Formats: sequence, C-alpha cells, structure tokens
Amino acid sequence: MLKGILEGIVLEIISRGEIYGYEITKKLHALGFQGIAEATVYALLLRLEKNKLVHITKKPSDMGPPRKFYTLNERGFEELAAFWAKWDFLSERIHLLRTNGGEKNV
Amino acid sequence: MFSHEMKEKIKQFAKEQAPYYLEEAEMTYMEKLRRKTGEAKSKMMAKLAKFKSRSETAMEAQNDMILYMSDYMKDLMEQGLSEQEAFERAKEELKFRSETTKSADLQERIFAYYNNFDPADYEAIGLFYGAFVFLGLSIGALVGFIGSGGWEMFLSGGWIRTLIGAVVGVLIGVGMGLLSHAVIVLKRKK
Repeated sequence: MLKGILEGIVLEIISRGEIYGYEITKKLHALGFQGIAEATVYALLLRLEKNKLVHITKKPSDMGPPRKFYTLNERGFEELAAFWAKWDFLSERIHLLRTNGGEKNV
Repeated sequence: MFSHEMKEKIKQFAKEQAPYYLEEAEMTYMEKLRRKTGEAKSKMMAKLAKFKSRSETAMEAQNDMILYMSDYMKDLMEQGLSEQEAFERAKEELKFRSETTKSADLQERIFAYYNNFDPADYEAIGLFYGAFVFLGLSIGALVGFIGSGGWEMFLSGGWIRTLIGAVVGVLIGVGMGLLSHAVIVLKRKK
C-alpha cells in the first residue's frame, strides 16, 4: 500500500530540515511505519539523489566515509507539492466514495 | 564502536550489494524519462553505462550503505543484540532482493510476446504444413507412379519409384511449410 506514497512521506520528512539516512528510518518507525524494510529506505534515498530531488551536505563520521545529510532542493519541493496535490485529490475522492458512494450531490 | 574485523565485513557487504541498488535507482530514473520523453532506449542505456563506469559514484553508494548499515547495527546493539547478531540481521535486511534491469527487460519482452500472441497464426502455420505435406505426398507419389511405368510396372519394381516420389514429395511439402512459417513470423515482426 505504501508504494509510491513512501517517497512523498520521506520528502516531507526531509523538507522539515537537514537529516541523514538512518535518521529518516527512525522517524518513519516513530510514525508507526515499523514494517518498512531497511533496504526500502536506503534504495529510496539513492533514487531521490539520482532524480536530483535533494541537496547533499557531507559531514565527517566515526565510521570513516563522510555522512550525507539531505535537504530538499527546488525540484524536491516541487515534487513534494505535487505529491500533496495528488494526495488531497485521492483523499477527497476516497472520502466521497466512502460517505456518498462516489456521488458528489447526494 | 565496531571491531576492525566487523568494519571490514560491513565494507565487504556494502561493496557487494550497493551496485545492485545503484542499478535499480538508475533503472527507475531511466523508466521515468522514457515515459516522459519517449527517447530511444539505446540512448539511455549508453547514458547508464557511462554513469555506472564512474567509480566515484559506485564508491559513494558503497559508503552510503556502510554508514546506513552501521547506524542500523548500532540501533540493534542498543536493543541488546551482539555485534555479530546485529551484523547478520542487518545483512539479511539490506540484502538486495529487487529485480534487476535485465530481469525487468526480460519481463517486458515476455509481456509483449503474450500481448501480441494470436492463436490464429499458429493455426494457419499448422494448416500450411499439413496442406503442403499432403500436396507433396500426392504429387510426388503420382509422378513416381507414372514415371515408373504405371500400374503394369508398379508390382514388378515400379513401386520403389512411387515410394521415392512420395518421400521426396513429403520433404518438399515440409520445406514449403517452413517457408510459409518464416513468412508469417516475419510479417508478425513488422
């Protein structure tokens, strides 16, 4: 069910401020998305980067390689706005379907 | 926090697994672009090959995985798992399972094949084979029969020419069937 929606959720998390990979997973878990596989978030972050939706700042880490911190760039904010627009539309239609069986003027 | 041996294990795992994720991330990007612009696949594949060849990108993906895995392992160890247990669990969770570009391509081709599959084509091919074999058999046997001297000669050794004519006729029939098959396949390809 989360396919496609997870990207929007992660974009929203990143839009709230600079954050690194695993911290996003922790935020997702705290939100109640316990079932999300670690690999899913890692793959999603890689995809956001390849699609040029995030700005990256590297900072030193105790493991050796520098740690990447993500923030949304202009394109990322546009994608996030598009996600919420789609979400609002979907949410409204589903609510309509649930309450009036899909009829607007009932 | 981790032992030197464990750090090496994590690095090795990241080196093995990160390229799969990188490939998938690029494939998704490629698919999106292809949908939007309809650009030729070969052009994108060339771009992809160029991208993959840059070892800097591959190294970056590995480093991302090392850090991600380490963070996850630290979390697991804080929950009470030993270093080795945390490593095994993280390895299992982060092991690449998704389909590769090649399998996605293959799936597309199989889907396209079944989408274009028409049983009428195969019925037509079968009928062509049957018709040509029967025609070849009849004509070959008749030519052999007449050529050997007709009924009078048939019983005194002429039957062998009739038989040869029939066999040659069948072979010609199968050959014609193959040609028809090839023509139908080529037409379908267009």
